[in-house]
Amino acid sequence: MISRVADGCFWLGRYLERAESTARLLATSRALALDGELTPLQVWWSVLVVADEDEDLVARHGEGVRADGELVQNALTWDTATGSSIARSIHAARDNARGIREVLSGDVWEAVNELWLWIESAAARQDWDDSREAFYRKVRDQVQLALGLMRSTMLHDEPLDVVWLGLLLERVGQTSRILDVHHHAFSQLPADHSAVVTALWVSLLHTVSGFEAYVRASSGVVSGEDVARFLVLDERFPRSVRYGVGAALDRLRSLRPADQEDLPGREAHERLAALDAWVRSLEELAPEQVHGVLVRVVEETGATCDAIGRDLLGYG
Amino acid sequence: MGTSLLDGYAPPSGTFDELIGDDGAPRAEHRRIGDLLGQLTPDAVARAHARAEQSLRRQGVTFGVYADSRGTEKIFPFCPVPRLVSAADFEELERGLEQRLRALSTFLDDVYGPQRCLAEGIVPPELVLGSRHYLKQLRGVTPAGGVRIHVAGIDLVRDGHGRFRVLEDNLRTPSGVSYVLVNRALSKRILPHLFDQARVRRVDEYPQQLGDALRSVSPVAARDTTAIVLTPGPHNSAYFEHGFLALRMGVELAQPGDLFVDGDLVYVRTTRGPKRVHVIYRRIDDEYLDPDAFRPDSMLGVRGLARAYAAGNVALANALGNGVADDKALYAFVPDLIRYYLGEEAILPQVPTFVCVREKDRRYVTEHLEQLVVKCVDEAGGYGMLLGPQSTAAERDDFRRRIEAEPRRYVAQPLVELSTCPTWDAAAGRLAPRRVDLRPYVLTGRHKSWVLPGGLTRVALVAGSYVVNSSQGGGSKDTWVERT
Repeated sequence: MISRVADGCFWLGRYLERAESTARLLATSRALALDGELTPLQVWWSVLVVADEDEDLVARHGEGVRADGELVQNALTWDTATGSSIARSIHAARDNARGIREVLSGDVWEAVNELWLWIESAAARQDWDDSREAFYRKVRDQVQLALGLMRSTMLHDEPLDVVWLGLLLERVGQTSRILDVHHHAFSQLPADHSAVVTALWVSLLHTVSGFEAYVRASSGVVSGEDVARFLVLDERFPRSVRYGVGAALDRLRSLRPADQEDLPGREAHERLAALDAWVRSLEELAPEQVHGVLVRVVEETGATCDAIGRDLLGYG
Repeated sequence: MGTSLLDGYAPPSGTFDELIGDDGAPRAEHRRIGDLLGQLTPDAVARAHARAEQSLRRQGVTFGVYADSRGTEKIFPFCPVPRLVSAADFEELERGLEQRLRALSTFLDDVYGPQRCLAEGIVPPELVLGSRHYLKQLRGVTPAGGVRIHVAGIDLVRDGHGRFRVLEDNLRTPSGVSYVLVNRALSKRILPHLFDQARVRRVDEYPQQLGDALRSVSPVAARDTTAIVLTPGPHNSAYFEHGFLALRMGVELAQPGDLFVDGDLVYVRTTRGPKRVHVIYRRIDDEYLDPDAFRPDSMLGVRGLARAYAAGNVALANALGNGVADDKALYAFVPDLIRYYLGEEAILPQVPTFVCVREKDRRYVTEHLEQLVVKCVDEAGGYGMLLGPQSTAAERDDFRRRIEAEPRRYVAQPLVELSTCPTWDAAAGRLAPRRVDLRPYVLTGRHKSWVLPGGLTRVALVAGSYVVNSSQGGGSKDTWVERT
């Protein structure tokens, strides 16, 4: 396929995933804030750090933004100057989809276009005012509709492989950042806060849609160590690091079969294969290892994306 | 107050209404579908109209308007009431269009070859050789596959007597065909009962026919051919159509930056390295296509493309240099060209045209501006026009000066009383007579030509207006060619 079209597919996948994950992050943080166990600062500052918007929003709104749930939600939902905001991600997803209209099925295009028409409409503002929960839900539902239609109405060949490659790498980065930030924050809390800490880990699992899956996998015992192991190493869970890296590698392999060494993309392939092998080699994950492992995962997925851009998407 | 859609519909006197005759009833050739239309209620049509607009928005069927701010997307207004063309009328159009295109492609072969028609004075040489669309460096070049006008869109109007006349030829990159297909899908969705009973010729094979025509002119075997659609990009006003056609033909949609030329061969940059391209359905004008050969400041071009074309290694659809044949001044000579090349009389009449470069014509035009429509030969989209009967004295003075300064750039025609069709006026909630034109599309491959049964009906949505262009308040209708 044309490299520029591949670029559009890659970013369509990334932005759809980003819109959904920001919606999920805001929805669960809001629920957590309502519990009142944590101060607003503890809840919303973490959100800014996960979204990688702390520096930017503090510069624009002052330090008070870190404890201001409405301001954080507003910025991460509507502010198109904010890199990971929902509105900006939807705009960007739709722009990319429009530029690769000819490889998407009509159903997929309409789902993405409808999401964009909605976020642009007065109805979306009304939903936001009426029920925040329903608003975030709508974003997630419409993204999932688009992704489901991709699987059920498009050829499972190159364009879809590239969409999924972008989506999976974005997801690995998101899971890693969310876990890293919260793991750090929760381990700073005093030891007598165990009930609160359990509630926090449950909330974190909700942020990655993993609560039910975790409870089934762990027979219901919630501990920080187990949650971290689950989110990094459990390859049965589709938002774990191990699953995401492995699945991304599968996509890259079908784009560039191993027996066709002369095709572009060798560096991306080698990097991702090495990361996959390393994550698979980890058997246990002690609390003191978590940060180091996640930093390496984030760095390596970033480097893989750069290599994909140079070799396959025509940036080079 | 009746409940029939046609109650109270009254075409203005002096114009030809395509559906309703002078007796106020549907014309004999449209009686069957006209009666079906009469069974609809205004409410039903209002609902159909709303459903159509919603569907267009959801599908993102939009066009950009250059004069608007960047990135503005508008839907092309759609009238749910179809425009009818009888089987007999369309058969004659098919024959007339095919004849006209045969003459025009022979003319292009002649212009880029022996130039007999110039030597013999059939067409004034300065009209062709002085045109900015004449590409003299391509004289002697035969395009791959031998076809020059792969896609033609010929604009037709019906005059005060209902007679179809050619108004304009579009032989470069005529647009709008995607709306024909989209409009048909809408008709079937919003008025299924009517459509079911109407018996209409289908239009949806256009993309396959276009794909066949493109592959037929490939420099390699059809099955080994890589064909692409080349678009200037998402900011182009017809971008929706470029993607639509690529999607329906199952070919890639490329932008100029995706292509490069090496050793006079054209390649596209892919995730698996460079891949040879054999046929390009390009939706970029000649002058921007190759900065080495034409405008050096073009950002939309592919360096070396003209050389690859001249070497016969890539087919461009349409061919380079066609602009000399759809020039509004050359138009006046087309009946002569049909006689000269084919030894036939033109089947389709056209509109009498004064060519200002001829002194006698120029004098008449400058003295009768208030009765004429003046057109600039190298402007399109309804820009650069003077509608004499509706103009002010100042506007006429301005045009008189411009014509005297550059007579080659202007032609003039008597105002044609464009026919009207019953058209949905959403604000008033009823039908109103609105003027229409018709752009049928003709595809030509190495071995055959094919006319899309129907074409794009554009309608001037403003009461009394003659301007049907989408950039100036026009909309469209589905065109129903009745089956025999």
